Amino acid sequence: MDAELLELQQQFESAQQAKSSVRLSERNVVELVHKLQELHFLDSDILHTVTGKEYITRDHLRHEIEAEIRKSGRVSLIDLSDAVGVDLYHVESQAQAVVVGDPGLAIVNGEIISDSYWDSAAEEIDEKLQECSQIALAELAAQLRVGSELVVSVVEPRLGKIIKGRLEGGQLYTPAYVSRICAMVRGAARGITVPTNLATVWNSLQQLLQDTDGANGVSVEGAFFQSQFNGLVKEGEVLGSLRAGVQWTPAVFAHAQRASVDSFFSQNSYISYDVLQKLAIPQPKQYLQSRYPEGIALDGVFVHPSMVEMLDAAIEDAIEHGNWIDSLSVLPTYVGPQDVSKILSLCPSVQREIKAAKAIVMGESCIFSNSYVKAMFDRVEKDMDTLSLSSLASQGQPIDLCSAHESKGRPAAASFSEMKEISDEGGSRKFVSEKSSKKKRGKSAKSGPTEDDTDNYESLPTKVKKNQRKSKDTNSLDASDMKSGSKKGLDKTKEDSLNIISEEWIAQRILALAPDLGDLGVEPEDPHALIRHLSNHLRPMLLDSWKKKRNTVLLENSERRRRLLDNLQKQLDEAVLDIQLYEKALDLFEDDPATSVILHKHLLKTMATPVVDKLISTLVIDNKLKNGVEVGENESPETASLSSADRISLSKSLPGSLSVKAQAVLDALEGKVVDTFMIALRAMTEESGLLLKKLDKKLERTLLHSYRKDLTAQVSSETDAVALLPKIVALLYLQFYNKALQAPGRAISAAASRLKNKLPDSTYKVLMDYHAATVTLLALQSAATGDEEDCTSDRILSKKEFLESKMPELKGLVLTSRSS
Amino acid sequence: MEGWDPSTKSSLTQIPLLSTRAGPRDGAQWTQRLKEEYRSLIAYTSMNKSNDNDWFRISAANPEGTRWTGSCWYVHNLRRYEFQLQFDIPVTYPATAPEIELPQLDGKTHKMYRGGKICLTVHFKPLWAKNCPRFGIAHALCLGLAPWLAAEVPVLVDSGMIKHKDDEASSAAAES
Repeated sequence: MDAELLELQQQFESAQQAKSSVRLSERNVVELVHKLQELHFLDSDILHTVTGKEYITRDHLRHEIEAEIRKSGRVSLIDLSDAVGVDLYHVESQAQAVVVGDPGLAIVNGEIISDSYWDSAAEEIDEKLQECSQIALAELAAQLRVGSELVVSVVEPRLGKIIKGRLEGGQLYTPAYVSRICAMVRGAARGITVPTNLATVWNSLQQLLQDTDGANGVSVEGAFFQSQFNGLVKEGEVLGSLRAGVQWTPAVFAHAQRASVDSFFSQNSYISYDVLQKLAIPQPKQYLQSRYPEGIALDGVFVHPSMVEMLDAAIEDAIEHGNWIDSLSVLPTYVGPQDVSKILSLCPSVQREIKAAKAIVMGESCIFSNSYVKAMFDRVEKDMDTLSLSSLASQGQPIDLCSAHESKGRPAAASFSEMKEISDEGGSRKFVSEKSSKKKRGKSAKSGPTEDDTDNYESLPTKVKKNQRKSKDTNSLDASDMKSGSKKGLDKTKEDSLNIISEEWIAQRILALAPDLGDLGVEPEDPHALIRHLSNHLRPMLLDSWKKKRNTVLLENSERRRRLLDNLQKQLDEAVLDIQLYEKALDLFEDDPATSVILHKHLLKTMATPVVDKLISTLVIDNKLKNGVEVGENESPETASLSSADRISLSKSLPGSLSVKAQAVLDALEGKVVDTFMIALRAMTEESGLLLKKLDKKLERTLLHSYRKDLTAQVSSETDAVALLPKIVALLYLQFYNKALQAPGRAISAAASRLKNKLPDSTYKVLMDYHAATVTLLALQSAATGDEEDCTSDRILSKKEFLESKMPELKGLVLTSRSS
Repeated sequence: MEGWDPSTKSSLTQIPLLSTRAGPRDGAQWTQRLKEEYRSLIAYTSMNKSNDNDWFRISAANPEGTRWTGSCWYVHNLRRYEFQLQFDIPVTYPATAPEIELPQLDGKTHKMYRGGKICLTVHFKPLWAKNCPRFGIAHALCLGLAPWLAAEVPVLVDSGMIKHKDDEASSAAAES
């Protein structure tokens, strides 16, 4: 048996002998304690833990609380109640008691916090602040899990002691950081030369900070920049003005602004608001008015009074010299139309001249002196003459006019010449038939072209008018019955011509006369506005004068028509009477048809043709006058000698029924019977309102008498042997038949033979001999026109001599027979 | 270990385990084993005492420590029933569990072999075999006898097979 085993045996023995501990159940214990309390063996205020397994006295609880606080300096009541295991209610009441008993403690939001805790927290904050140079209070509050207000209340008293920094807008900064930011702000503010919104500057600074500090860079609030900036401004480290708290205008910018405005304004004596807008001056008008009180503020520009003076002088000059001026050309381009009128209203001379009716303002900016307008009016009026007349000439063809004035934008000279050409063309087209007829007549045709050359752009109708004026004394007929008709025509044409003098036309004329006007449009989209204004101004006056002129022309025309028709009537009377007279003589030859035909033809050719020519051409002129056309005065109707083709064309130009009648007359003229011609002629004259006188006995006698006298005088003075014979024959007819005979050479023998039984034989013989000699002479003459050496010339000479020897005999025959 | 009540289980885990595999015939090895047996018994006893759950007294009846005698008791209806306890260490120990005898109850219950050896539960034998040689006397008492007493004594008392010694005295007095 070893000792150890024995030992163990004894140990086991003693273990078995040891008294076993007695155990009470919890319930029993609780009841026991309760019993003890009932029996007042214990203090009444015994607390128990939340688990209910422990009893605790208040003093102990307080001790425990104090111990907990001492641990960290800050304890939440809820945590405390967990840690102590006592109901929150008791913990709170005891904590209250603890805090009241210790001034270094405070209950904040259910937490007990000691001053020492704050001190240590402040130290931590300071440490962190020195590290980061900037901390947001909100961040701190979140970190400490307290309200930011509390943080502020804690941090503020410790600033400068524990925390070496500065509190600004909810942020803590170290002085070094503050000075750095300050330096940045100063640099930025000094670098700014144009007005800037500070917020954008702060943003860029923030960006810069973040870039330099890297990802862990602290963010700086704009407010901090702003406060630094405000400080700098207050200290005068940066110069400028702050508007609305954010808009910073540096002093250097304001200075530059002012300098540039000053220099521009002093150099140009005007400045546009646009320029100021570009210089970022928000209210240019007020700015300028406050800076330059003497200046004049217009709608778009600000001008110095000297500008007005200059304009005034220019206008005065223009008015004095009877010219015009566009104020816009004098003023700078910035000056708009509405401003121009304003400036003009400020010009003393303009006001004075307008008041004195010496100048007219047109198109807002242009000033015309009255003398200039007057000159323009005169010239346009002159042009208008050509227009009005040519327009009358070309009634129903206004296209010609339009084309004539189409030459708008050409240079003046070119447009002049072209216009002249065109109008000449138009004119000549209209007068082509007339002209050709004139040439045939050969008299006045020359004057037309020459005048055309000399007269520059007084185009054709004008000279026609002149011509007509010359001819007015030659043509005159009573035309009182035609007046009413011409009046009607006048009214009608007046209406037309009112339209013809349109604004466009006037504008074109003005443009042609003064092309410089066209270049200066007031409104760029309408370069001819100025001209339009001017033409508007001129038009009423032009219309007035045109009407006046037109009336005089029409009056003149009617006067001339009257005279023309008078004249025509007179001539017609004479001629027709003559024809009738001669016609009677033709009755003698009715038994001899061959001779009769010859005689008829001769009569129609010699007597009727001039009558018809005269009638037709006069009627044509009359017709033109009636329509208001100026007719050349050199177209003297008595000179007319027309071919049959001319006659037909002229007669066709006559109005309707008259034309038909005229053609009938012409047909009759080509015929062989005088009677039919007379009938046709009568019809035509009736149609044209003229009278044909009938031949009565008395009139016939006087006519015959005068004819005979005339013839006798002719015979007695006649020296040409050949020409004597018809006259002798005519005189003999007059003596024996008392009829006036017009006989061509071919009919002489027939006519002479008819006198056989009337004359004494000797006389008859003499006549017949003479006749035979004349015939042979004429035959010889007609055959001899080739060779001089022929003996015919000798024979002609001898025949002539024979005839001439016979002449006195023949003359004596006639003259004696008449006297007997 | 399921099937054991929680208090048994907790006390079982607190009993120190043994390590020496030796029977009564192994000489010094057996002495070593015996020491371990004592240690575990001391631990178990002190544990029972501290838990106010002391229920047996045993001691070695011979110096070799192969025969043990003592007593055990059980409290039922506030009465303490005490029985004599004895067992031998078998030669095949520790492979074979010791057979605990309660001679006073021999013939009083059928859950018992002849000679008063208690009939251990079906759970005990495999558990012992599994934990050989770590289980010792203390484990046999804890896992074998204690549950048996808790199961059988109330039945025996209620059936009147056993009587409290006070009742026996009174009944004897009444008989006398």
